[in-house]
Amino acid sequence: MNGLETRRRPTRIILWAALAAVLVLYGFPFVYLLLTSFKTPLDAIAVPPQVLPSQWTLDNYVAALSKEGVVPALINSVATAVLSTAFSLALGVPAAYAITRFRTPSGRIFVVAALVTRMVPTIAVGAPLVETMRRLGISDTTIGLAIAHTTISLPLSIWLMSSFFEAVPIELEEAAKVDGSDRLQAFRHVVLPVVSGGLAVTAIFAFLASWNEFLFALLLTSVRAQTTPIVIANFQTQFGLDWGGMTALSAVYSVPVILLTLALQRHIVAGLTLGAVKG
Amino acid sequence: MKLRSTSGRLRTAMAGIAVATSLILAIAGCGAGGSSAGPAGKLTVLVEGGGKAELQPIADLYQKQTGTTVELVELPYDGLYDRIQTELGSGKTSFDVAALDAIWLSAFSAGVSPLDDLFTDDVKRDLFPGLVTEAQVGGSYVGMPVWTNSEILYYRTDLFGDPKEKAAFQAKYGYPLVPPTTWKQYQDVAQFFTRDTNGDGQTDLYGTDVKGAVETEWLATVSQTGEKTMVLDPKSGDVTIDDADHLAALNFYTSLLPYAPPGAAQLDWAGSQNLFYQGKLAMMRFWGHAYTQTPANAAVKGKIGVAPMIAGPGGIAGVPGAWYLSVPKATDKQAEAKKFVAFAYEHNDLSIKTSLGLVSRISAFESQAGVAGHENYPAILTTLKSPATIARPATSKWQQIVTSVLTPMLQKAVVKGADNAALLKQAKAQIQAIVK
Repeated sequence: MNGLETRRRPTRIILWAALAAVLVLYGFPFVYLLLTSFKTPLDAIAVPPQVLPSQWTLDNYVAALSKEGVVPALINSVATAVLSTAFSLALGVPAAYAITRFRTPSGRIFVVAALVTRMVPTIAVGAPLVETMRRLGISDTTIGLAIAHTTISLPLSIWLMSSFFEAVPIELEEAAKVDGSDRLQAFRHVVLPVVSGGLAVTAIFAFLASWNEFLFALLLTSVRAQTTPIVIANFQTQFGLDWGGMTALSAVYSVPVILLTLALQRHIVAGLTLGAVKG
Repeated sequence: MKLRSTSGRLRTAMAGIAVATSLILAIAGCGAGGSSAGPAGKLTVLVEGGGKAELQPIADLYQKQTGTTVELVELPYDGLYDRIQTELGSGKTSFDVAALDAIWLSAFSAGVSPLDDLFTDDVKRDLFPGLVTEAQVGGSYVGMPVWTNSEILYYRTDLFGDPKEKAAFQAKYGYPLVPPTTWKQYQDVAQFFTRDTNGDGQTDLYGTDVKGAVETEWLATVSQTGEKTMVLDPKSGDVTIDDADHLAALNFYTSLLPYAPPGAAQLDWAGSQNLFYQGKLAMMRFWGHAYTQTPANAAVKGKIGVAPMIAGPGGIAGVPGAWYLSVPKATDKQAEAKKFVAFAYEHNDLSIKTSLGLVSRISAFESQAGVAGHENYPAILTTLKSPATIARPATSKWQQIVTSVLTPMLQKAVVKGADNAALLKQAKAQIQAIVK
């Protein structure tokens, strides 16, 4: 046993070193962003760049959060992302369930067609969407933007939920039917609880897709429904880039996503595991 | 039992989501950014983030005097271009006026209304010649200048005013140390100040910078030669970038490399500005607006002087960095939009008090002559009024030429041993392929 442990130790060291390298690779940009948000304007654009602030300051946060339009944009981002997630789940979950349970040729075409929409460049649908939203009278509204974002997240939701429903044995539903449930009741009381981890994963992906989306927000909003990614981008102007303000607002904007991920971490892991094993 | 408990939690969660969604739906009809005044009595103006402050006092006064709400929609620089392009392409616009960068005028000229009736002789007399030229695309005036910028010369007053430095410079070069006005003087002063100040064997003060990652400063140098056809003639399609003047400009530009910090190929505006603020440059050529924006903790705070851009054989020259107000053809509010554009010109001086303090009318610049805090105005004024200052070519391909030809060419030119003539010939072929 000890000999086995000794033989494994170098492998473990290599694995840990590789893991640490990957963590640094992924984590450093965000850490640098956080540190920059506490720098003075001069430190922020120092040549060569310096990692730690020479003087720590909260001025960037005060300036960024007191900038006109920042708070409404944060509210808009939350509202848009929640709405889009709700739309995406409301449409994607039944669609995925029907596709996996009924297995019709049209269902198979539908699921492939849904994926094709992910292959179309967002800008290609941007211009028609601008016109469509205007005709519908929902330009520059949160609901209009949420609908646009749903076009991005829905295909992914259908595909994700399909894989989760695939993993649920049909016998579970049949047992529920034997106990007197109809299909809808079996779906609500048996299938949905089993795939709750998958729902969490799908929800967080849909939420993130909307939360970080830039192009539709740029094209479809003006003042009333403008979301935070546009406001963050506004820190880069023709006259320069306000690194402090931009990084401060970016840090603030990251907090809800980090909290959401931590809160749903258990479901996400469970959901990913469920989706990885076919029944 | 466990199943039922999970189902119960799910039901509770779904109910919570439903309530939250209902609340959000209630506010989703408009969004949290405030309500708009409705289509009547309202003008929507698209503006780049940095320019919003310039227009705000004008918009406020317009609303006060006319009762028409002016909604300034702030968008990031690249986003503004995409948004305008998308909307003009769709034939319907959500905006009534747009602030356009000078280099976009040609690309958008087909989608905006002519403003010829606004360009009276009096108006043209009060605008810099380069701006009047630039505003005209295809025989029509397509934008009214709303603010303009230009590179000017920044220098360290503590160095230039030091008696020891003055004496040493006089002894070495045979003329007094003053802010340079010519290429030769600029080279001399740059050479003079490039040194190791702390005796560690490393150069820590440079006379100037050389920017390889942005093209405008080299274009200003091209104008300083007296060149009248910068890069290409949009009308004939002739590409002039390999002529003698362009080569002379590139040779002068790269001749400063020994007196500039290493890494010129990657140096852009922000990097240059930082080097100057850190006290590592004795001189810098930079946009005029920055004079009022020196950070409090900059090593050179309170030690900065400004002068007009330097002159080459053709005279003083910069590149006008103007923005224009244009009216899309697709807006239904043509008359009201043009009225606002005329109003913005009329009250151009209101932008003097903004954070950037940039205006477009000569009279607005001249009104601040001798006013403390506006020392940059005479420098901008002299640079933009100079006959050698010319606008960038009015071609819809300009942005593409800059990103795919000019900047890469400069980045190669600032590398030691570069063959400037060969690089310009190569650039000519690339530009010809773009504009053919």
